Amino acid sequence: MERRRRINMVLFLGPAVLIVGLFFVLPVLVDIAISFTDLGRDLRVTEITTDNYERALGFGDVRPDRQLPGVIARTVIYVGCTLLIFNTTFGLLLALATTSLPSGSGAFFRAVWLLPRMSPSVVYGILWIWSVHGGDTSLVNQIMMGVFGYEKPIDLRQLYPMVVIIIANGFIGASFAMIILTSAIRGIPEHLYHAARCDGAGSFALIRHITLPQLRWPLTYILIWQTLSLMVSFEYILLITGGGPFRATTVYAIFIFQRAFSASGQYAYGAALTFFLILPGIVLALFLWRVSNMRKLMQQPRIEVH
Amino acid sequence: MADVASLAAAAQGQEHWDRLAARSARERRMRRGFLYVFLILASLPVMVPYFWLGTLAFSAHLSGVDTRVLWPSIFILVPSVLLTWLWAIAARTPRQALIGWAVIWVVAIAIFAVVVGPSLHLGNFRFLYNPNFNAENENIVAAEDNPGFSATSFPWVWTAFANSLIIAGGATLIVIIVASLAGYYISRFQYRFRTTSLAAMLILHAFPATVLLIPIFILMWQLGLLNTLFAIVLVIVGIELPFAVFIMKGFFDAVPWEIEMSALTDGATRRQAFFKVVLPQVVNGMIAVSVFVFIRGWEEFVFVLVLSTQQAKWTMSLYTFFVVEENSLGVDYGLVSAVAVFYILPSFVLYTLAQKYLLQMTVSGVKG
Amino acid sequence: MASIEFRHIQKSFGAVDVIHDMNLTIDDGEFVALLGPSGCGKSTSLFMLAGIYLPSGGDLLFDGHRVNEVEARDRNVGIVFQSYALYPHLSVRENIRFPLRLKKVPAAEAERRIAEAAELVQIAELMERRPSALSGGQQQRVALARALVKDPTLLLLDEPLSNLDATLRLTMRTEIKSLQERLGVTTVLVTHDQIEATTMADRIICMRDGRIEQIGSSDDLYLRPKSLFVASFIGSPPINLIEGQVENGRLTLGECTLSAGNAPIGEVTAGIRPEHLTIGEEGLPGRIVQIEPMGREILYVVDTGIGQLRVLEPGSTATHRSGEQVSIGFAEDNTLVFDNVNGERIADARFSL
Repeated sequence: MERRRRINMVLFLGPAVLIVGLFFVLPVLVDIAISFTDLGRDLRVTEITTDNYERALGFGDVRPDRQLPGVIARTVIYVGCTLLIFNTTFGLLLALATTSLPSGSGAFFRAVWLLPRMSPSVVYGILWIWSVHGGDTSLVNQIMMGVFGYEKPIDLRQLYPMVVIIIANGFIGASFAMIILTSAIRGIPEHLYHAARCDGAGSFALIRHITLPQLRWPLTYILIWQTLSLMVSFEYILLITGGGPFRATTVYAIFIFQRAFSASGQYAYGAALTFFLILPGIVLALFLWRVSNMRKLMQQPRIEVH
Repeated sequence: MADVASLAAAAQGQEHWDRLAARSARERRMRRGFLYVFLILASLPVMVPYFWLGTLAFSAHLSGVDTRVLWPSIFILVPSVLLTWLWAIAARTPRQALIGWAVIWVVAIAIFAVVVGPSLHLGNFRFLYNPNFNAENENIVAAEDNPGFSATSFPWVWTAFANSLIIAGGATLIVIIVASLAGYYISRFQYRFRTTSLAAMLILHAFPATVLLIPIFILMWQLGLLNTLFAIVLVIVGIELPFAVFIMKGFFDAVPWEIEMSALTDGATRRQAFFKVVLPQVVNGMIAVSVFVFIRGWEEFVFVLVLSTQQAKWTMSLYTFFVVEENSLGVDYGLVSAVAVFYILPSFVLYTLAQKYLLQMTVSGVKG
Repeated sequence: MASIEFRHIQKSFGAVDVIHDMNLTIDDGEFVALLGPSGCGKSTSLFMLAGIYLPSGGDLLFDGHRVNEVEARDRNVGIVFQSYALYPHLSVRENIRFPLRLKKVPAAEAERRIAEAAELVQIAELMERRPSALSGGQQQRVALARALVKDPTLLLLDEPLSNLDATLRLTMRTEIKSLQERLGVTTVLVTHDQIEATTMADRIICMRDGRIEQIGSSDDLYLRPKSLFVASFIGSPPINLIEGQVENGRLTLGECTLSAGNAPIGEVTAGIRPEHLTIGEEGLPGRIVQIEPMGREILYVVDTGIGQLRVLEPGSTATHRSGEQVSIGFAEDNTLVFDNVNGERIADARFSL
């Protein structure tokens, strides 16, 4: 009996534990280990050192990394704006609007907004480049020059690089929120709306008093999860602006990527910078677990044999 | 208690009610109009670029961007869609509606064929059957007064296609097996770290794996797996597994216990009950998770970029990326669009076909 | 308070017609029940009264004024749903306050009215709880308070008792009835349970497939059903129905021929309620095949020449045994005859032994 219990555990849970260990636990440990070395482009460790942390934060006569304050400020602006404008507010508006329409029209607009999600990042990136680049053939310039009579083409990637990457990431985030919130809105019992309408509620009162209170948990979930993804994701930035121009869109994650993989090969320094990202990552993920409803997740097993 | 509303109503009679009804009708109309205007305006920035991509793939020629097709197509398409929609409101019977739509679209297609038709061609898809398309590009572009231009030699697209297929398929297979086993165990068995393991899955699914790019790169280098497809398969499995376990657990939770109990009373062990009785109940979940992981594997870009440098190990994402790099200044929009359309198509088809299953997944994912 | 009138009301959802030409007048202060099996259109009618659904045709009148297109929020109706539909994120007090808040009733008056409503349904001590912390019966009372606090023109009850257990249902039935009598508010109850309808309502509207089948008191529906449907829908244990033919004033049922006074010739269904049959010395010979004690009555199932009959006898212990040969008698006055062609009762047709 006891033996079978143990075999079952290894059989069912073993592979998952192994993979999770190999890809989450081990890399975190490896990262910490590397951050205390001088691992560089030649992939060789010659000494154990705290240089990387000193270089980032500044100790004694070592000045802190000059670029870091700017990078962190840009990260805060980028994450904050994308999150508040698109991943929550705009996603919520899309979900509310499409669920208020007859189901056919609603589904059409939701399908349109799924396009960015369905596209591989490379394709999405090239679409953005084609839309906003500085030549007179970009979509924006065709419209600006053709419809609004601009004399010269404008280059949005030069003028407002941060706005471009916020909107580019925001479209993806908005569609994510839209999907989740749409199914959450659909899950609200219809009789609540009926009751509220009989109690005298108009369209706005329905949203304010019935829909929004019911969306509290999905919105919290989206907020935390998207904060995490935005903090570390740099795929679209890499593809659309490459962090430029003049580091204008170099947020923390792409900064690490550039230290480690673009030419310089400063793996150890990158690992130290990564460590500062792992910490808030773990904290936020733990917070997500706290706000989720534990009791609802775990039902007691009703079969005792193994 | 004096009833104010009904006293007022009695005093003013019919006019009072008519005023209320008119106000409601007005508000309904305004709300509907406002919603459509908002959604159409908000969706244009998404619709137009994708539409452009589609037109380019079938119309652009080498050396130059082509918008001769984009705007005429939009000028034909937009009125047709509007008319279709208006007719849907105006038509009295389904039969009338169908006839009207047929007329609108026959006319639209006819105009399209005359105005845009001559510009359409399939030449941009030559990369599908001509492995040396880029060298030919080089000759043409160099001949057109671009002496500095030298083309990279690309692997054949089908190599990249096969690599992507192997990665996405391999990762899907491993994830679905491992996640089904673990999801079932967490959902149905009593053991000491049950809550902890579920918590771990929830936390890890939220924890972004891209942050671990550097240590994973070092690990793969240490294991001698750089430049192998296997490394990428492993990474995708690792990233997607917690989420997959979490979703599968949700699906297992929904299977009635009585089914399993009766299997046990019929003499099955729990392992047999799992394979023969429970697993067939969660096929929907397995489809959803498979599609999800497959698309993720199909799209993966950053890890492939970091972990493989040999052309023979390129995936569709790298292939597209380098085609874009090469042509980002507008050398061959048509080719880039065609590659992009070719690359996007499998995701698109899978997403559309599996929409029903994916929605179930999102629901349990959030409510979970 | 208001009187209500349905005038040729129709309702369809897409191509599906749910209500066909409904005509009904409800007097000010009356308590009526819409009774029928599920899918008969009774809830749709209720939702049209509430303004949640708008009629597709005809006129809906409140106090003689047409209100077809007036939406729910302007109608001032109180409604209690089967699921109670309490707002889960609001406390009991906030739930009851909700309609007053939307009407912008001044705070002091709102407090007074909330207290009054809470007093009325006896939930004063639950005011700060969340709906999820209440039992079914308590939720029911909160829903009632929320419906009553706005002094509704019309009170609508949609299967309000079906989620309660049997004892509670009995209490709430009486309470709602007496509450309605005290307040004098026009009330419409939707139910599929005939006991609920007969005990609470002044008048019962029996519906079937989107049409009104019969309107009347519980006596009318029970003793003088207008159709086969009403006869078989009302009554528990159900009425005995036997198909047969009438010829030359004789009614042939199975192997027996009975006299059928003035029934016209044709295919008919004969009906008689179980409690109108008696086991005695004379009448139809038969054999008892099953005995079901029901508390104050005993139900005998008897095989006779005209088919199986259910016979209800008073008393709590069976006086006959299974397998016993008995004779079954009945009075002509209690018999019903229905025309098989249109399902309607032939008004003065009777049959006897």
